[in-house]
Amino acid sequence: MFNRSLKTSITAAAAICLSVATAQQSKADAASCPSPIPFGLTTALTGNLALLGTQARNGVEFAVDEINAGGGIAGKKLALTTEDTGASSTDALNAMNRILEGKPLVIFGSMISPHVFAQTEVVTKSETPFLVGATNAKVTTQGSKWLFRTHVHDGQLADLIPEYLVTSLGKTKPGIMAVADDYGLGASRGIQASLAKLKVSPAAVTSYAPSDKDMSAQLLEIKDKGADSLILFGRPADVTLVVKQMSDLGIKLTTIGNSSMVAQTTLNNLSSAEADGGYAIGGMIPQTSTDPKIIDWSKRVQDRYKVPADNFTVSYYDTVYLLKSIIEKVGCDKPAIRDALAATRDWKGMLISYQADAQGDLAHTLGIYRNKGKTPELTGPIKESGY
Amino acid sequence: MGQLVVNGLALGSIYALVALGLLLIFNTVQIVNFAQGQLLMLGAFIGISCAVTHELPVAMAWAITMVAMALVGIVFMVLVYFPLRGRPAFLVILTTIAMGIVLENLALIVWGPLPVSLPSPVRGPPLRFAGVVVSMHQLFIFATLAVILLLQFFFLTKTRFGILMQATAQDLHTARLVGIPVNRTIAVAFAFGAVLSGIAGLLVAPIFLAEPTMGGSLGLKGFVVSVIGGFGNLPGAVIGGLFLGLIETFGARYISSNFRDAYAFIVMIAVLVVWPRGLFGEKSSEKV
Repeated sequence: MFNRSLKTSITAAAAICLSVATAQQSKADAASCPSPIPFGLTTALTGNLALLGTQARNGVEFAVDEINAGGGIAGKKLALTTEDTGASSTDALNAMNRILEGKPLVIFGSMISPHVFAQTEVVTKSETPFLVGATNAKVTTQGSKWLFRTHVHDGQLADLIPEYLVTSLGKTKPGIMAVADDYGLGASRGIQASLAKLKVSPAAVTSYAPSDKDMSAQLLEIKDKGADSLILFGRPADVTLVVKQMSDLGIKLTTIGNSSMVAQTTLNNLSSAEADGGYAIGGMIPQTSTDPKIIDWSKRVQDRYKVPADNFTVSYYDTVYLLKSIIEKVGCDKPAIRDALAATRDWKGMLISYQADAQGDLAHTLGIYRNKGKTPELTGPIKESGY
Repeated sequence: MGQLVVNGLALGSIYALVALGLLLIFNTVQIVNFAQGQLLMLGAFIGISCAVTHELPVAMAWAITMVAMALVGIVFMVLVYFPLRGRPAFLVILTTIAMGIVLENLALIVWGPLPVSLPSPVRGPPLRFAGVVVSMHQLFIFATLAVILLLQFFFLTKTRFGILMQATAQDLHTARLVGIPVNRTIAVAFAFGAVLSGIAGLLVAPIFLAEPTMGGSLGLKGFVVSVIGGFGNLPGAVIGGLFLGLIETFGARYISSNFRDAYAFIVMIAVLVVWPRGLFGEKSSEKV
């Protein structure tokens, strides 16, 4: 009895000593951080990519303000500096150089891949953790050990969209329409390659310039060539136009695309009949959640920014909280933060869990959605092969 | 084929309307207003504020927008044209470009980046014949273009004020010497030019949605149309617009949709090589 009691006491004492020591270590690490802790963000707030770029700002800023309102990290507030990239890669590089002058602890880049490609070299040289949502599959293959992506990428979509269309929806003659920029054309090529693996030839492959407003010629070509479905890859504004013009022309095709198909921005400008039946595979969106916390969060974001939160807002918001958890553990040492990011395993975000792969991609879960009228429904999450 | 013609003409009608606004200002002060597309965007957003945000009847939204755009045109003239009057034309042109950027960013601040739709003033099921679908809004666009073309032609050639505007365009100093109220004439040109852009914006928003950056491309196409038709020529602007709409639509369908914007500039260069003054441009006389 005595021995058991002694053993229990010794074990408890050891546990207390260990936890105090760990707490002191953690406190010491967090205490090494400057006050305030500088974060940098470059994203498109003006120009024709502003609709996209503001989602990154909204996600990061909303999380930073929440964390600061809750006392910051180890009592230290976060100071977010934001620079506007506009729509040009040159301006994106200039914006990044201005951000780097402030010597931030970490930098958030936008979801616009050409901007991230232009910025990666200078950020890598500065040895600063660089967290982006840019969707071009090659963003994380540039060989930078400082770059991490917390949003799903086009390579994942390019595999999953054709697979779902052919194997689950039974369509074998799709037409492809994509926005003619780095984002859309890269995805279009990937989709064509994936279709080839499934031994399916697209009926027509078309594109439209980002500034195009009339896509009727492309739609008529797809219809005339006998397509049984449409794979649509674009941004919410132009996806809205394509869906509207399909309806105007009386073209009825099963349509599947990226998350723009179910974005609130898209659905706000479509009638129920126009939106109904459209499929999307992409980053997880908050609109379909039944969790009261997420519904409340979406409402607060909408109230503050007058723009509905989307998959990017969620991803950037999660990224800030992921960093918070890392800084609380390893402090403000940049290589330690980088190593912790690279070692991320099953970190639970708002809608998905994040897990780093060897290239620095942390998001491997996508959502399959179907519009019921103007309401997107989650058909199911789908994981990248191997996750 | 028939569907492509209808859609090409509808698109071309929008280009023509932008060009008609450009032409009105050019015919009075010999300045190309490169912010014409952004004025179109402003008209669309004013219409949306009235009809969507404040839920006014669409007809009232149109009326308010036209009045507001007339005022915007006058303010534009005071800010952009008057301070640089008499200076080299390129300075004024550069200022119109700068003003376009300012307007675009102001719209981003005021209305945000979200694309928004405006209800069409006409409703009803589309007309269908021989497999061709023509929406009521497309018919409304054609009708509006025809009415504006006739009114503008009548105004410029049959009314005293229109003739005064042409006289001002030909020689501003002589016009002033003979007692023409030059400033008032120029103000009317800017006001009407802005109203025409506003109308184009109201027509575009129901089919193409309105967003702050919508004006850049449409304004540029309006300029291309003006060059193709012959700068300053009324029928030229309309025919040039319809022609460009058809070229873009057929090019996207039968050649490649990747180069749709390029077709406009290829056609413009080709026309300039063959007809340096555009399809309907008048021979300019040298001053001696």
